[in-house]
Amino acid sequence: MYDDFASPWNIRLKWAYLLAVVFALLMPVFYTIGISFNQHGFGARIYEFTFDWYRVVLGDTLLVVSLKWTLYLALATIAATIPMALLSAKFYKRTRRKVGFVALMLSPLFVPADIMGSSLLVFFKNLARGFAWLGDALGVSWFDGWFDLGFLTAVIGQVIYTHPYAFIVILITMSRYRVQQTEAARACGATAWQAFWHVEFPQIRVGVFSSCAFVTILSFNEAVRTALLKGGFDTFSNMLVAQMLNIGMSGESYAMAGIMSIVSMLVIGTVIVYTLVRAERLERRARAMAEPVMSS
Amino acid sequence: MSPSPARRGRELPAPPARWRQLFGENGIQRWVFYIPVVFFVLFFAAPMTLTVVWSVFERTQFWMEPGFTLFAYDNFFTSARAENYLYSMLHAAASVLISFVIGFPIAVFIRRRVTRAAQHRVILLFILPFMISELVRVFAMRPVLGRNGVVNSVLMDLGILSEPITSILYSPLGVIIGDVMSFLPFMIFAGFLALEAVQNYVFEVCDDLGTGRVRLFTDIVLPLAAPGIFAGSVFIFVNSMGVALVPTLLGGPGAVNAGLIANQAIVALDFPLAMAISTIMIFTLVLLLYIGHRLFDLTKILEPIS
Amino acid sequence: MTESAAIAVEVVELGKNYGAVTALKSVSFSIESGQYYALLGPSGGGKTTLLRLIGGFLRPSAGHVYLHGRDVSHLPPNRRPTSMVFQNYALFPHMTVERNVAYGLKLIKVPPGDIRDRVDRMLSMVGLEGYNRRMPHELSGGQQQRVQLARSLVLERDILLLDEPLASLDAKLRKEMCLELKRIQEKVGITFIHVTHNQEEALTVADRIAIIADGELVEEGTARDVYETPNKRFTAEFIGDNNVLEGTVSHTSDTRVALDLDFAKVEIPARGAALSTGERAAFSIRSELLRITGRGEDMGASWQVVPASYVEDVYLGLTVSHLVRLPDGTEAVARVMSGDGDENRFEPGQEVAVGWPTDRARLHIA
Repeated sequence: MYDDFASPWNIRLKWAYLLAVVFALLMPVFYTIGISFNQHGFGARIYEFTFDWYRVVLGDTLLVVSLKWTLYLALATIAATIPMALLSAKFYKRTRRKVGFVALMLSPLFVPADIMGSSLLVFFKNLARGFAWLGDALGVSWFDGWFDLGFLTAVIGQVIYTHPYAFIVILITMSRYRVQQTEAARACGATAWQAFWHVEFPQIRVGVFSSCAFVTILSFNEAVRTALLKGGFDTFSNMLVAQMLNIGMSGESYAMAGIMSIVSMLVIGTVIVYTLVRAERLERRARAMAEPVMSS
Repeated sequence: MSPSPARRGRELPAPPARWRQLFGENGIQRWVFYIPVVFFVLFFAAPMTLTVVWSVFERTQFWMEPGFTLFAYDNFFTSARAENYLYSMLHAAASVLISFVIGFPIAVFIRRRVTRAAQHRVILLFILPFMISELVRVFAMRPVLGRNGVVNSVLMDLGILSEPITSILYSPLGVIIGDVMSFLPFMIFAGFLALEAVQNYVFEVCDDLGTGRVRLFTDIVLPLAAPGIFAGSVFIFVNSMGVALVPTLLGGPGAVNAGLIANQAIVALDFPLAMAISTIMIFTLVLLLYIGHRLFDLTKILEPIS
Repeated sequence: MTESAAIAVEVVELGKNYGAVTALKSVSFSIESGQYYALLGPSGGGKTTLLRLIGGFLRPSAGHVYLHGRDVSHLPPNRRPTSMVFQNYALFPHMTVERNVAYGLKLIKVPPGDIRDRVDRMLSMVGLEGYNRRMPHELSGGQQQRVQLARSLVLERDILLLDEPLASLDAKLRKEMCLELKRIQEKVGITFIHVTHNQEEALTVADRIAIIADGELVEEGTARDVYETPNKRFTAEFIGDNNVLEGTVSHTSDTRVALDLDFAKVEIPARGAALSTGERAAFSIRSELLRITGRGEDMGASWQVVPASYVEDVYLGLTVSHLVRLPDGTEAVARVMSGDGDENRFEPGQEVAVGWPTDRARLHIA
């Protein structure tokens, strides 16, 4: 693939440019993390390493509670998004109206957070009022509180936001899967579910797990939609926004930003390392295939 | 293994039971696959469509009531909001352009000069920053670009500057930098995906014909990658317009974009106004996608996954 | 076949369409138990659709599928007494050969000891003894197809469907596997339905052949009938190397039809066809029956002879094809075995005569 006629410096320069862009994208984050470990905070001339800011953050009950909510939200979002993304990908494979379906599934990517959040907020408020009215009209209290802003509405908002990403990742993994194997399993007597669980799922597992990681991170980082739809509780990112806007660039904000980026990097780092290790293994297997085993 | 009449039909399945008809592949199992469609129509398509209706409702003190009034639109177009909206479009366009200039060559480079096996690993390099909270990344621009920030101090230590630059942060420039830093990876992903769908022989034929660098770019790479570039551009454009966080954290006192205007309207409990802004934003988006589709046939983007 | 063998598969007015596209028009036929049956036809002709309808992988748009007399039209594949061998990529890549073959038995909860025995027996039948621990990617294409066969046969279902099972193998291996399939089918004695676009493959394996094209059943019969006395013109053009000629009926009798080819008059066995004078009709002669002589040489009273001009000879290894052009411009081929009097006696452009034994020409009505 390398252009033999170009000077090696040409290639090296391009690599340098690429890495410089990666560096520029990541540098601010690492700089922020650096500040979060400085006793004297941002702008100080001396650097004294400390965990103090983190201690303050993790000692704050409100923040710990918000971390708990963040976790619940992420778990609920995964529980809803991943099965749905699997269903969507399967639906995509079998439907003949692919373009319309994909347009519906991917268009949330193009609706900015604040716009989608506002629309859903008004939608849920109307829905809650609608159900309350219905309950009154029927004289039952059963409908009270349906779609009142709260955990459920926040989860719905996050599902709409994270689903397109999970859908794409799973679809790409599935595109390497051969349908004949499902049919072969059916011919062996498997039900549709057994064929999926025994044959297809083991082969797309990697995609499902990486989309789980993906959704976790997206959910963890999401602030705007949750802020609008959450009702009574706060997630960690909500707290960080409030902190940044109200108190400004305090030591705690840096520590909170540090926590957010470190968690994300740990999750994505694990996935990347796992993927690379797996790719290595697959490559070794491919090499083995290139030198076929002679039949004995 | 010889055929015996007794074996004929031994493993014939049992006749269909009632529950099988209900839960079998002709029953519920078939409809389960429609759950995502129903969910997205209900909680995405419906709210987005209904914004148009709500935008013409009458505003009440804390909520709104059914009616028909263009007051919200009047409010939008006759105030500074319309001007701000146009300015945010301008800033968004600038972000798209800068992202393209910085990012697209990287996509081309990865597709053309990196070996197949390594391509996805290089792409992973750009997924990493994207995976860190946009909130943190935008927030981090403050200490980086600020008066005592790392850029200023490094430049001053090197003797290039004698005084810190303070005009970047809390200005339109700061907003554009923030947007580019936030959304640049998307240009690289979209461009790369579009180019990945191009078969290698296309480039080989060009080499064979002796196509020059410039012609290769304008005649081959750009047209083939156009749908992807367009999708990436629209993504960056609408998010630059719609993500309120960037102007909130990096813009000056007057810096707003469409997202922030909507957000402020919600905070002020002017729901019809917020819905009007959403409507205008969605209309802008649909218009862009429609134009893009007419120009480039965006369904081509789906080829790698179909 | 005994005269009253049980019917394993019966298809009645079966049709399938995808939106406006019709893959299979109304097709009806039946297959006796224990037969090796081939569905032969050009790509895109609907034969795979037909097989998948029988296997339950597609829902019919019209008509019914009866297996052993039971209507299974709306049952999924796992609830039909069929199993299937696919063209390729159908082994479970994450399971060993053993686990692949055992999969169907595990589903019906056969005791593990029995599973092992049956798997081993089946692997030795397909010639893969000792391959239990191999992964699919460690096998050659032919071995993979053998594993597929074992995986289907181990279930001891009554009907085995084979969807182009040899299409991705090279020519030599395909020939070997054909004979192997035939041997295995005779051994297990169940019904095999084999889809292929390769006529040689179909003729090798099948007891009976159905020709499927354009979503229709063109013709059905024993392998020998279909090859030697095809009823339909399409069959003659598709199977074997046939010369198809057309003419106008000039005279009919009980046993013979006289056709006017514009440049010659020929007589064809009538085969019970009811044709009237003035009608257009086609007939075919297999290329190995065509003989070329010099003009005026006598071939004998039982031969039909027409004038032609010699074009060229093409060496094909086993046979040599001699091309001639008839006065109306159609080309005809005469095939002889190589080294068996194949030395060329004619120059390109030379006027020659072409003849065939009268009773070997076959009249086609459609």
